Amino acid sequence: MNTLKRYLRPEQIRELSLVFLIVVTLIFFGTQIEGYFSGRTFNRITTTVAIIAVVAVGETLVILTRNYDLSVGSIVGFTAYFVGTQLANNNGIAPLTAVLLAVGVGALMGLINGVLVSYGRVPSIIVTLGTLAIYRALLVNYSGAKTVTTDSLPQWLLDLSSANLFRIGDLDFRLIVGVALALVVVFQLVITYLPFGRRLYAIGSNPEAARVAGFPTQRTVTTAYVLCGMLSGLAGFMFLARFGNITVVAAQGMELSAIAAVVVGGVNVFGGSGTMIGALLGALMINTLEQSLIRWLQISEFWRDALLGLLILLAVATDAVIINRLRNLWARSGLQARPATETPGVQVLEEAGHDA
Amino acid sequence: MTNNSHQPLLEIRGISKRFDTTQALDEVSLDLFPGEIHALLGENGAGKSTLIKIMTGVHQPDRGEIVLDGRPIKIGNAVEAQAHGIAAIYQEPMTFPDLSVAENIFISHRDQGAILRWGKMYRDAEAILAELDVHLDVRQPARGLTLAAQQAVEIAKAISLKVRALIMDEPTASLSAHEVTQLFKLAATLREQGVAILFISHRMEEVFEIADRVTVLRDGKKISSKPRAEVTPEGAIRDMVGRKVEESFAKRQAQRGELLMSVRGLGKDGVFSDISFDVFHGEVLGFAGLVGSRRTDVGLALFGVELADSGEITFQGKSVKMHSPAQALQIGIAYATEDRRALGLTMPMSIAANISLPMLREYLSPLGLIRRTAEESAAERFRERLAIRAPSVRVEVARLSGGNQQKVMLSKWLNARPHLLILDEPTRGIDVSAKAEVHHMINDLAAQGLGIILISSDLPEIVAMSDRILVMREGRPMGLFAREEATQEKILTAAMGQNSGAGELR
Amino acid sequence: MRNLERLKSWEGLLLAILVVVVVNNAVQSPVYLSVENQVNLFQLFVERIIVALAMTFIIINGEIDLSVASVMGLASCLLAFLHEQGVPLPAAIVVTLTVGVIVGAFNGFWISVVGLPSLAVTLAGLIGYRGVARILIEDRSIGNFPEWFDRLGQQPLVGPFPLASLIFLVLLVVAIVVLQYSAFGRYVYVIGNNREVARYSGVRVRRVKMMLFIASSTIATLAGLLLAARLGAVRGSTAEGFELDIITMVLLGGVSIFGGSGTLVGVGLSILLVLNLRNGMSLVNITSNTQTGVIGALLILSVLIPNWGQDARGLLSRRRRTGHTPVTGEEKGG
Repeated sequence: MNTLKRYLRPEQIRELSLVFLIVVTLIFFGTQIEGYFSGRTFNRITTTVAIIAVVAVGETLVILTRNYDLSVGSIVGFTAYFVGTQLANNNGIAPLTAVLLAVGVGALMGLINGVLVSYGRVPSIIVTLGTLAIYRALLVNYSGAKTVTTDSLPQWLLDLSSANLFRIGDLDFRLIVGVALALVVVFQLVITYLPFGRRLYAIGSNPEAARVAGFPTQRTVTTAYVLCGMLSGLAGFMFLARFGNITVVAAQGMELSAIAAVVVGGVNVFGGSGTMIGALLGALMINTLEQSLIRWLQISEFWRDALLGLLILLAVATDAVIINRLRNLWARSGLQARPATETPGVQVLEEAGHDA
Repeated sequence: MTNNSHQPLLEIRGISKRFDTTQALDEVSLDLFPGEIHALLGENGAGKSTLIKIMTGVHQPDRGEIVLDGRPIKIGNAVEAQAHGIAAIYQEPMTFPDLSVAENIFISHRDQGAILRWGKMYRDAEAILAELDVHLDVRQPARGLTLAAQQAVEIAKAISLKVRALIMDEPTASLSAHEVTQLFKLAATLREQGVAILFISHRMEEVFEIADRVTVLRDGKKISSKPRAEVTPEGAIRDMVGRKVEESFAKRQAQRGELLMSVRGLGKDGVFSDISFDVFHGEVLGFAGLVGSRRTDVGLALFGVELADSGEITFQGKSVKMHSPAQALQIGIAYATEDRRALGLTMPMSIAANISLPMLREYLSPLGLIRRTAEESAAERFRERLAIRAPSVRVEVARLSGGNQQKVMLSKWLNARPHLLILDEPTRGIDVSAKAEVHHMINDLAAQGLGIILISSDLPEIVAMSDRILVMREGRPMGLFAREEATQEKILTAAMGQNSGAGELR
Repeated sequence: MRNLERLKSWEGLLLAILVVVVVNNAVQSPVYLSVENQVNLFQLFVERIIVALAMTFIIINGEIDLSVASVMGLASCLLAFLHEQGVPLPAAIVVTLTVGVIVGAFNGFWISVVGLPSLAVTLAGLIGYRGVARILIEDRSIGNFPEWFDRLGQQPLVGPFPLASLIFLVLLVVAIVVLQYSAFGRYVYVIGNNREVARYSGVRVRRVKMMLFIASSTIATLAGLLLAARLGAVRGSTAEGFELDIITMVLLGGVSIFGGSGTLVGVGLSILLVLNLRNGMSLVNITSNTQTGVIGALLILSVLIPNWGQDARGLLSRRRRTGHTPVTGEEKGG
């Protein structure tokens, strides 16, 4: 048992239970829905999760530092539209350029968020609530309320979303899924092995201690926001490739799905703990549940948000309760009442206590 | 006891520091030698924590200098202190709860390279801990560790940063006897490695067990600095107390009335235990003790802020279980907190609003609106009675001086018409004349029949003002002294656990 | 009173900007200052303004309620749904209001009893309650309310004022009285300033918080009903994004996001400012989305600028104290 305790951190317990839940969900729905275990289901789930997962990776970086980014939906929408328009006007733009454009614009938007939060000392909820609106307004203005249509886009882009890395029987392992997985792995490595990544945890775990220890807190938080913006930009590109038709309400509300995925995946809203793997599993869990429910009860996708809200609440509540338990345990074991020592002072008191 | 060289590693020369009205440090000098444990003694307010803050870069001295290896240095902040090899360990360690032990040890390192090697980090952490003979799972998050373990981690961190001068500030205050032994082994190991250690503790037996040199501070001045062999516990206590008991306090005439409250066996796991005492109408019961004695916790338990786990409280003949401040106020217990800024007053609000807060119900019109005039005239009465210096009771309390803020806070609790008033450090941080006024008020209140519990670290104050004094040490009762027999030395001795029997009764 | 001075200067600033905006608008459009136009202006936002009153209390208390817009939407959708199912409208109104109270108690439970951060709980609510609304309405638009309902929502009731405006005025008076003159209002401030001080002073902190969140959701529900009446039809997206305007109006009014300070006068001025600003932008054909963007910028500035102000003040006061480090209020000596 001790070796188990040794290698199993609390986060990993969360991840394992998520995997377990996902498997249970799959098995359950497999028995209820005909043709559940098909290539179509697999593709549908994985491609939806891919885009959210990329955003969730960025959101995780920010939440680790005890902040939020509510503007990611607007960033995804804007970059999708912006790059889409550029490509529509000039089909000859190289794919790499298009990707870099998306990432660059996202980085800039993230930078603005980061600077306002860390140097302006404006709470992240306020900043990103504001930029959510500002970036969306930017999108509307830039677009002039026009839609980017599929027929104006270059073919390679449209083919991109169905491009496969490889196939196993009926199951397609799409390129975008591969990219998403790669990013999850890369950033998991970043937060595990790079000093920058560990500082994110430290800042979220105990901001005061981080300050006292002399960490470059402001720079680190800003960088987290820039990275989040970049990832959202990339997700915007993927969004463009997947949907082709981009309206001004593209990706509206995506921030909420991303946060839900992250929180369900075990990333603590107080910062300081959580992993990219967890975020991915959270996204997978939510989407699997959602897609399966839709097909099973024949209920509309309109159940999605209600489900999300409930899941977030449950995740936060269980985290809080567990942390409270841990805290009590720690407090109790740290300050043991010392065994009574035989000092005369104590005897004095016992006699004094009955004084009238 | 290896004193490796005759050159001091770190010299504190003539450091002075003033905060507003208090001279916290006055030309203090002491030397830290490598491979030597230097104990610093002094009662609360002697200047110890200010000195530590200066050494770790939190404050800058007004005068004087710090010399390291013979060269004067500037310590502008914590990072610079670390760079100089100066580190401090406190009673409350500053760890990152979500990070592992190993990571906590190495988190401040600047030279870790581009990629963290966890295997190496775990091994190095285990090595350091092994060196210190501490057995911890380096992979577990710091959150689950005991306080003692967290301190060990802090020490390991200091060692990893090649600490040269380590300050230990009351490190043993919350440790078990066994854990203290462990800590001392760590300290001894450090000493062998040539680290200079500044050890602050109230426990005389510890000081005499481990120190090579003893310095006593009093009222910001260095009184003595001698090798341990030349010091005795009594002598140290005398140095710490020093001044004669001043007769500047108003004479107290004890007029004891009926039994007001009776406490038996009050305890809270891990905090305090076995507290029993009686409080009578018209008497002042002093709670004396040093840092970590947990007197405040007992007060909080009586007020319903923290809940006791065991024991009985009988108030005005009825048995009560305290569970909230609102309830305490209702039965007639008031508690004036130690930290008026953080807990006692609402800074942006006016004097009148602060005073009326606990009793706001009484100032409401039939419609439920606040009757400002009634509120203000109540405040005016207190302004006069306590001589609060302010242009009007509408002024916001943030603009008042410390002493006047204290009076506002006291007014607030007096306004609640309690039967029992618990005062926690009522004269801390206020000037002399305000102090005298507060003392007069305490006497008046007792004369009117209130029961008063006076928690104070100001020895002369508590000796002069109390009818009886309960001395606590680390959550345990150490003695109950009557007015006639209480002297500052006796109280301090008991507070340090040095009383060798012959306990006076009552 | 330093705080009051600061607030006065903030309110003075708001007033000045308001005057500029109004003058600018009046120049653009000759009918701008007519009573009819001003009332119309008000009408478009009256539901949000009503909720802003409740939000003021919540933020002064040091909390936040991100779910208000979703509760508004839920209320509208629930009413429409029940009506469509054949429930007589008065009964449906009662049921909806009851649901609003329950929602508030639900929020309040997690926040005041369990102790979860209000940000997280109401964020979940923002998503969840909107979701429930969507379940009821799906992607349809439901209207067809009885004529009396629509009339109440759209036509003037007393003088030029429709029902909603009257409700707002009544609630405004109640809010001012409660916040500035009642014990409850004072408790709200004290808790927001320092929760522990409130507790040590015998204030029943949990109870106050619970009541605040119940009030917030109930008022949001009421606003949702009024919105349904005014619009005549309801969609799953009704009131989406309203929380931005609502929170901006409160914070722009000088209420500190950190709790413990702010007045309804300031909020009143910022409401007028936001309304006139939006209207002015409409006059020059700035789209609603862009307007929202401007509001977003205002939101950020409303916290950023006071921060800068504090920094400037801190620097000045430190320079004035020659040679001494600023007193930090910590214990001196040790």
